[in-house]
Amino acid sequence: MPNSALIDALATFLPVHRLLRQAAELAPYESDALTAFRSRPGAVVLAETQEEVVRVVELCHRHSVPFVARGSGTSLSGGSLPVAGGVVIALNRLNRIVHLDPQRRIAVVEPGVINLDVTKAAAPHGLYYAPDPSSQLICTIGGNVAFNSGGAHCLKYGMTANHVLGIKAVLPDGAVVQLGGDSLESVGPDLAGFFVGSEGLFGIALEITVRLLPRPELYRTVLAAYHSLAAAGDAVAQVVASGLLPGAMEIMDNLAIQAAEAAVHAGYPRDAAALLIVELEGERVQVEAEFAHLLQVVEASGPYEVRVAKDDADRARIWKGRKSAFSAVGRLSPDYIVQDGVVPRSRLGEALAAIQRLSAQHGLRVANVFHAGDGNLHPLILYSGRTPGELERAETLAGEILNLCIELGGSITGEHGVGVEKRAYMPAMFNPVDLAVMNELRLAIDPKELANRGKMLPDGDAPSLTHPGIHPLEQQGVISRA
Amino acid sequence: MQHAIPVDELGVQGRFMAEAVDACVHCGFCLATCPTYKVLGEEMDSPRGRIILMKEALEGSIDLAGALPYVDRCLGCMACVTACPSGVAYSHLLTPFRTLAELQRRRAPMNQVARTLVKETLPYPERFRAAVQAGRLGQLTRRLLPAELQGMLRMLPATLPPAAPLPEVYPAQGPQRARVALLAGCVQQVLAPEINWATLRVLARNGVETVIPRGQGCCGSLSLHIGEAEQAQMLARRNLAAFPTDVDAIVTNAAGCGSGMHEYPLLFAGEADLPQAQAFSHLVRDITVFLAELGLAPPDGLPEPITVAYHDACHLAHAQGVTAPPRQLLSAIPNLRLVEIPEGELCCGSAGTYNLEQPELAAQIGERKARNILSTGAQAIATGNIGCMTQIRTHLAALGRPLPVWHTIELLDAAYN
Amino acid sequence: MFTALAGTPLAEVQAALAEHGQYLPFDPPLAAAGATLGGAVATGLSGSGRRRYGGVRDFIIGMRYVDGQGRLVRSGGKVVKNAAGFDQHKLLVGSLGSLGVIVEVSFKVFPQPLAFATLQISGLSLASAIDTIGRLSTSHFDLEALDLLPAEGAYTLLLRIGGPAAVLPARLEHLRRWQGRGEAVADDAAIWQRTATFSWLPRGAKLAKAPLTLAALPALDAMLASCNAARRYIDGSNLAWIAWPGAWDELDAQLLALGLSGVALLGPPTEQPLLGLHNGANLAARIKQTLDPENKFPPLNGGKQ
Ligand SMILES: Cc1cc2nc3c(=O)[nH]c(=O)nc-3n(C[C@H](O)[C@H](O)[C@H](O)COP(=O)(O)OP(=O)(O)OC[C@H]3O[C@@H](n4cnc5c(N)ncnc54)[C@H](O)[C@@H]3O)c2cc1C
Ligand code: SF4
Ligand code: SF4
Repeated sequence: MPNSALIDALATFLPVHRLLRQAAELAPYESDALTAFRSRPGAVVLAETQEEVVRVVELCHRHSVPFVARGSGTSLSGGSLPVAGGVVIALNRLNRIVHLDPQRRIAVVEPGVINLDVTKAAAPHGLYYAPDPSSQLICTIGGNVAFNSGGAHCLKYGMTANHVLGIKAVLPDGAVVQLGGDSLESVGPDLAGFFVGSEGLFGIALEITVRLLPRPELYRTVLAAYHSLAAAGDAVAQVVASGLLPGAMEIMDNLAIQAAEAAVHAGYPRDAAALLIVELEGERVQVEAEFAHLLQVVEASGPYEVRVAKDDADRARIWKGRKSAFSAVGRLSPDYIVQDGVVPRSRLGEALAAIQRLSAQHGLRVANVFHAGDGNLHPLILYSGRTPGELERAETLAGEILNLCIELGGSITGEHGVGVEKRAYMPAMFNPVDLAVMNELRLAIDPKELANRGKMLPDGDAPSLTHPGIHPLEQQGVISRA
Repeated sequence: MQHAIPVDELGVQGRFMAEAVDACVHCGFCLATCPTYKVLGEEMDSPRGRIILMKEALEGSIDLAGALPYVDRCLGCMACVTACPSGVAYSHLLTPFRTLAELQRRRAPMNQVARTLVKETLPYPERFRAAVQAGRLGQLTRRLLPAELQGMLRMLPATLPPAAPLPEVYPAQGPQRARVALLAGCVQQVLAPEINWATLRVLARNGVETVIPRGQGCCGSLSLHIGEAEQAQMLARRNLAAFPTDVDAIVTNAAGCGSGMHEYPLLFAGEADLPQAQAFSHLVRDITVFLAELGLAPPDGLPEPITVAYHDACHLAHAQGVTAPPRQLLSAIPNLRLVEIPEGELCCGSAGTYNLEQPELAAQIGERKARNILSTGAQAIATGNIGCMTQIRTHLAALGRPLPVWHTIELLDAAYN
Repeated sequence: MFTALAGTPLAEVQAALAEHGQYLPFDPPLAAAGATLGGAVATGLSGSGRRRYGGVRDFIIGMRYVDGQGRLVRSGGKVVKNAAGFDQHKLLVGSLGSLGVIVEVSFKVFPQPLAFATLQISGLSLASAIDTIGRLSTSHFDLEALDLLPAEGAYTLLLRIGGPAAVLPARLEHLRRWQGRGEAVADDAAIWQRTATFSWLPRGAKLAKAPLTLAALPALDAMLASCNAARRYIDGSNLAWIAWPGAWDELDAQLLALGLSGVALLGPPTEQPLLGLHNGANLAARIKQTLDPENKFPPLNGGKQ
């Protein structure tokens, strides 16, 4: 049950239509894009000013009620899943672009600003905001900061952390701090960099200074179709070895191609087992020269078809298909789990083959669409929540894929974050000391564990969740069941 | 998304509703194009939120009364359908849900009066005409009336063009290339009869003979979208009977009617009229689609060069996926420069009876559209739906910039000299 | 990517990478003087080449360090992308030894440009230099470096490009035509070597760095000129290298007055390495307390809130 003293205190400054308490108002906030988990908050606050956010956080702290910041709720790892009975602070109305300075190539934005809207605002100055998660048309900069989100075009210019220069944030006890600034350089510990990717556990970003980049003079986009996923994986290694540095390098397998084609008619070869998308960007003369080289490398990698984007519209279609792929997979299956593991690029082919094997073993289809240039896999495990036992099988398969990534020397997540979904796998990636230090840092910043309680770190209470099978901590003898 | 909707208890429509919920993966991509979400910034007023609310209401885990205010605020613009990569047929959920809700809801008495007025007048040109005449008197006293009725009255024009009965057949000019039947429309016929005349002239100029079947009536979509399925079926049956099927197309110049007639098969799902409804809807074409398919006779040009912003009517762009043909036709006019409107995918806020039922929100959405239009520097606006035309006119005027708003076909008509 | 122990000399790392056609895009300075990898991270030093892709904070992907309680801690990973856990390796960047001893670092690396060329634009007023930087910033030119140096009463801009040797002349020509002036530098390598080795530092001068933005440049430059401090601005004036002739606390006070921050790099040791304005002290203090509760490492002193 929500804390009534807190609700009373909130009601003193929030009108009833911005302090949501009715079932019908709360239900739509119960989950994010990971629908396997749902939990009803005690209240949702629709904040309209930064001061309001600070006040709500202060009050939550005073009353020891957990809170979860929420952007557009597109997290794929349950990052914005509410704590049952806790407070959700919805930031969508904090969506002002406070300031945009083309000469200095920076923009100062509120956390509810939508990623693509930064690029739209910068476009008249020949600039854009580089990190482009596939969800960019709706995900917020606040959410991107929490997860250090990446995208197809993060190969060359890096993820969100590389584009965030400064953050004004409210810490979980209500203290407001300014981290970093508006210069590309900084001195002292990189506190802004530390905040990015902390999954909301360090508090709420209120204002974010991002850097903008000049729009390249020319893009060249190549599609190469292969008869096998492994061949496409190997092609990536060859492009990397060629000394070229593409802006993006993505792979889609046949299931993903089918789904994306059905959704947006991108013009992909429908029968390909795998499709490689490589894009070069930069100054015209240089891109043209590199493009000739790229075509040679791609041709030599054994595709059965190579197509080059004809014009801007064609390029836009190609990327729209790629960026719609996750959601489009909803056409193939009512439910899915997206995994986000990373493997060294040199072991991409190996990892893909293993995933195919695991998929067959568990009798569940797996679609693959991923940031190949970064070695960041996105296997989508298709299941139906209504078939008894399928969710459990899907989770087991997901776990085996994560373990595979760790075995290959990689990570359990490249950009979607640990959230609630993968926290049980943290101990497989970090040893008890590493985790203890993370926990201590968290407690130093949030002694009451109020901000995003139950996310990322493997211990601490997370009452709404269960983990199928033996919990990794149990395996290690750290915890035991009553 | 998982659900526990009692599919079998809900009849034929139950399966459609469940399928839509099933296909939603909660990704949020649709939020970006939803006008109510853009304006209100809250999850309940987004497509994703409404899907959850309707699902929960159908499952019985929240009560209908709680969910309805948010479902009511939906424009039915279907921008979310265009945006959804997962292929969620949102209208398959919304339309039957509204019908179900209508059966159960108890409306406030004044709201009920307004709805009855809408339901009993808009689909019938003669009654609508009479209502408008009466409404003009009402404008004087409208401050005394409740909000619902004020909304209705505000939309009514000060004067009506004279009624101009259409002929039964309008012959082709030169060699005949095709023969079509025209839906004359209900509201539009009263408010802007010149659109039908322009349509007839452009068709004739393109070698098309047009028949205007007697006995036809409102397409029924207004009724369907406010949850009056029975009335919609009744109106639709009248058209199934009135229209010939030995024509090349059944043409409409009202986007809303086009999308409504495309929905006839859904309206008659599981009923005896289904095959006939399917045959009918196969023939239905928006005027711009028909002309683009036929191949437009090159227009001569307008009296003056002009920059025009094309506004996508939701019922064309989202409900029927028609975006290229009207642009293609307009671009064929030699001295017309076409510009795009920022946030073009957003509804203008007119959406059927929305103006009448949600006046405040419709006004906010309308103003946003007007500002976006003005930002293009266009001298005039073209669009494919009478509702949008009225709404855009109203909001441009409110901003003190009353640019001319034309139906696409009127511009084409003017471009043939 | 690559992983190396913290004591590895930068020069060694660079040579090993060059064998594979790769390089450290953040272009750490002082490699020739024997700087180590861990040192570059702990001081947070990037060179002129950071213009193209970013600084040391943008390329570090993982680390092992020993904290104040003697624990060997791992943060991040050994793959180019990793979103699991808190990025403590970011904290150690620029930490000047106050939080832990860096043991091992992993970096993302990029293919080394095959050749370089530089356009020099001399005799600019500060205002026209600022205008040029502003215009370049919104242009589509991909610059490896964009340095500004005061020279004989005027200012010089150095614009460096990199890529396949065959296209560089054409690119340089585009740049020159767009700019309307400037000439190609004959010995590209030598001119950049001067910046990277700080051979321009007057004898006996201290070295500090100060982050800034274009907007802060006129006031900072006026202050430095009036104090007779040699200086260079790199990355389109996002960073000033300051050869400070006076005492550290004088620079501290000057930066504070300008609302800027800085750090003392070379010169007499100081207890207060951070200069000028500093923010985030609240968070920094909590972190310090967690990683080094008994203050085994030097405090991160200096700088005012
Ligand atoms: C179809 C689809 C495709 C996707 N593609 C990508 C992709 O290519 N790359 C990628 O990286 N991700 C991708 N994602 C995941 C998701 O979009 C990102 O994680 C995104 O950053 C989440 O943003 P949001 O605004 O929806 O945040 P939410 O989901 O609302 O929140 C995410 C997390 O951020 C926290 N948070 C939100 N705002 C703040 C704030 N102001 N301060 C502190 N914490 C905050 C929340 O508490 C939560 O933990 C995809 C998701 C979907 C559904
Ligand atoms: S875009 Fe489609 S799948 Fe995604 S939330 Fe909206 S309706 Fe559901
Ligand atoms: S139909 Fe229009 S108003 Fe209704 S949910 Fe979809 S986009 Fe929003």
